[in-house]
Amino acid sequence: MLDRDTIGKVLAEALRKGGDLAEIYVEDRSSSAYRLEDGRVEDVAAGRDRGAGIRVISGDRASFAYTNLLEEAALLRAAEAARAGLEGASAPPPADLTEVEAGPRHPAKVDPTSVPAADKVAGLQAADEAARSAGAEVRQVIAGYADVRQRLLVARSDGAFAEDDRTRVRFSVQVVAARNGTITTGFEAPGHSGGYELLEARPPAEIAARAAEKALRMLDAKPSPAGEFPVVLAPGTGGVLIHEACGHGLEADTLVKDASVYAGRKGERFGGETITIVDDGTVPSSWGSFSVDDEGTPAQETVLFENGVLVGHMSDLRSARKIGDAPTGNGRRQSYAHVPAVRMSNTNLLPGPDDPNEMIRSVKRGVYASQFAGGEVNPATGNFVFGMSEAYMIEDGEITYPIRGANLIGNGPKMLGVIDAIGHDFMFWEGVCGKDGQHAPVTTGMATVLLGTITVGGTEA
Amino acid sequence: MSDDLLATARSIIERARPREEVEAFLLHQREFSVKTFAGEIDSLSSAEPRGAGVRVITEGRVGFAYSTQLGDADLDALVELARANASSATADEAVALPTEGGGSEQLDELIDPAQEQVTPDDKATFALKLERLTREADPRVRNVEEAVYSDSDSTIAIASSNGIEGSYRRTDAWCYSIAIATEGDDTEVGFEFDLARGMAGLSAPDVARKGAERACRVLGASKIASARMPIVFDPYTAAQFLGVLGHALTGESVQKGRSLFAGKLDGSVAAAGLSLVDDGRARGAPGASPWDAEGVATRRTQVISDGVLTSLLYDTISARRDGRQSTGSATRAGFKSAPGPAPSNLAFEPTGRSRDEVIAQAGRALLVQDFHGVHSGANPVSGDFSVGVTGTLIEDGTAGAPVKEVTIALPMLEILGNIEAVADDRRWLPFGGSFGGATTLVSEMTVGGA
Repeated sequence: MLDRDTIGKVLAEALRKGGDLAEIYVEDRSSSAYRLEDGRVEDVAAGRDRGAGIRVISGDRASFAYTNLLEEAALLRAAEAARAGLEGASAPPPADLTEVEAGPRHPAKVDPTSVPAADKVAGLQAADEAARSAGAEVRQVIAGYADVRQRLLVARSDGAFAEDDRTRVRFSVQVVAARNGTITTGFEAPGHSGGYELLEARPPAEIAARAAEKALRMLDAKPSPAGEFPVVLAPGTGGVLIHEACGHGLEADTLVKDASVYAGRKGERFGGETITIVDDGTVPSSWGSFSVDDEGTPAQETVLFENGVLVGHMSDLRSARKIGDAPTGNGRRQSYAHVPAVRMSNTNLLPGPDDPNEMIRSVKRGVYASQFAGGEVNPATGNFVFGMSEAYMIEDGEITYPIRGANLIGNGPKMLGVIDAIGHDFMFWEGVCGKDGQHAPVTTGMATVLLGTITVGGTEA
Repeated sequence: MSDDLLATARSIIERARPREEVEAFLLHQREFSVKTFAGEIDSLSSAEPRGAGVRVITEGRVGFAYSTQLGDADLDALVELARANASSATADEAVALPTEGGGSEQLDELIDPAQEQVTPDDKATFALKLERLTREADPRVRNVEEAVYSDSDSTIAIASSNGIEGSYRRTDAWCYSIAIATEGDDTEVGFEFDLARGMAGLSAPDVARKGAERACRVLGASKIASARMPIVFDPYTAAQFLGVLGHALTGESVQKGRSLFAGKLDGSVAAAGLSLVDDGRARGAPGASPWDAEGVATRRTQVISDGVLTSLLYDTISARRDGRQSTGSATRAGFKSAPGPAPSNLAFEPTGRSRDEVIAQAGRALLVQDFHGVHSGANPVSGDFSVGVTGTLIEDGTAGAPVKEVTIALPMLEILGNIEAVADDRRWLPFGGSFGGATTLVSEMTVGGA
């Protein structure tokens, strides 16, 4: 993407007025997206975005500049902008570049650009037909197909050199159903790191049928009760809670600012022996995986909680420098135009010994949370809120009827203390995580989990 | 800068073939941002992004493509890619580019001429001062997570084969700080910010004081019992509520049945006396512009008038579908996305009372300063609204005990029906658009607590 001679000149220019570390990140990204709504293929978009971001770290300060011109002169200008504010003597010359030992790659088996546009359109139409044939109450179907190929290079003045070639594909279906003024939605959006083969494993018609089934089921929903209840979290989607309530507070940029509820609490017990939580960027072909992070650190598995005890955190180069240990391969950025931040990859609560059906049977009156629409946490306090897009009442050990407008409200550290059972039916769930105005593909993984008691917000007081 | 950009836009549309409509949208920005932590500069960032987004329409089929590379060969490839995308789209007679543009119109107030003289050092000094003032605003503020100053200088140009042509420039500056306050075992966070056309329009003392207040006010908060009671939104949460409503108020979302307002045009949707206006030229508002993202002149649209839904917000395609005119509501998320309708600057009209009067009118109520989980708990399609909140209990017009870990819920149409007062303290907040928040009294919602 860029020859080593040019890279050397750019890094040297970046360090001309001092600094501890200079880095260049070069990216070439092609993407395409197709969207169907109202039975029509309306938005077909594609684009190519190339550019480079240059960063200089000096003590606790980082400065950054980017350009979408990749000629040497433009890169040298960006390097000059990136060292703004530095007035010192020139730092030692950059070390010779050596390729880092990257984690496993996640190649595309079927290159999406080799698939005719007509096939992608046919997939959207199959989704539309499948959703509409699921029931007369289906009013709208929005189906989307998107692929992105991102080729990148990272080189640093400490000699680290890494390249990655990432392809991701995602297929999403949103179904709107209506009956007598009640409107419901159902959503499914599987994705992976890899190529068009996703749609062989997950045919569009099947994805659409699941989304339609959710929307139709929720038409019978009654208002959710409000109060404190036992809650059973469905496998997969419930991992969103782990991501939000445990993961964000263990991102080291938050820890070093003393802005996390978990700061200074390593070694403390937060829950039972069965609770082990890891962040693992190496899961094969997973949506949240990569082979090296966006600072050139290999992806790895990092244990956050082991048998209920806080043992680890996730870091990027800067936060690892402040803490004084090695980065964990969680430095990610949305594009060359963004500064890296500590981000999760695939964050998983490892499976436990318990029987999911037994958990439901044990609940006298509570909620079965089947799908979350998303959530939000304040890392400083650990307080979180999650909306449930599909949920059911559990009465006398049986799932009885769907409920709407339910959400979960609580506190991350406290939630780990009320995990009473973890099932063996582990599943993944793909999502997009927002932080500092940047989006990152992430996966969460979890089996069925029983929370002994937690606050449910709803419309029935 | 603007002449070059317009010349590039023209050269793109010259590539149009017979019976093709082609539109080029170009953006060129200079951005700067400085973040401080612990009394030091934590990071500096500067950039000059630019790029082009192109729509090609052939026989009712539209395709879109974008590129950051603007050489002659790149532009050939760009138009060709948009053309190829159009061939995959479904033909639709509503699909067309606007024929009447507002490209010659300008809004003078979008530029702060003094901003060009502001140096990076001035900006860093501002951010450091903001951080210091935030820490000093209250002894309970033990940490400032970050203080940030950012600005941008943008030039936007558009040209289309239908004869639309124009360019304009704008300057924007904004700042924020995040105060972390602690008392006993409790920690709370207060986010506050300001925005203006230039640094001179930003007030670091106000941001620092209000941010510290937002954090300290809710220290020691606890749950209250579940109940049905009056709710007061402060300008922040009122703007967030408008942000959810805004998604549902476009012609496109209603036409496609993914809006709580579907089938409600010309019907009663809110309390009598309540009016909602979208003003594409609201002075000082972040969403102000002379023309929209497809070159149509912006204007003021009365969306709700005395409780009745009088108009939706349209871009050209959605307007043609309803046999109406565009309301100048096309927006884009930069040059990498095709335009679609969205509010510009959306706000309720004040009902003629001050904030203090509205709070006094509320009786025993929950004053809500923060929503938690809006993007999952508020659904603009079904109208369901159930979010976590932090706030204070108010009794007889005075603020009392802080409250947290409770939820408030009510279908959004019922919330609109229950709005009794909108105070005159409007401020513009950029929550995924530009929304004018003012202290707002809702006569009753369900509070889910202990």
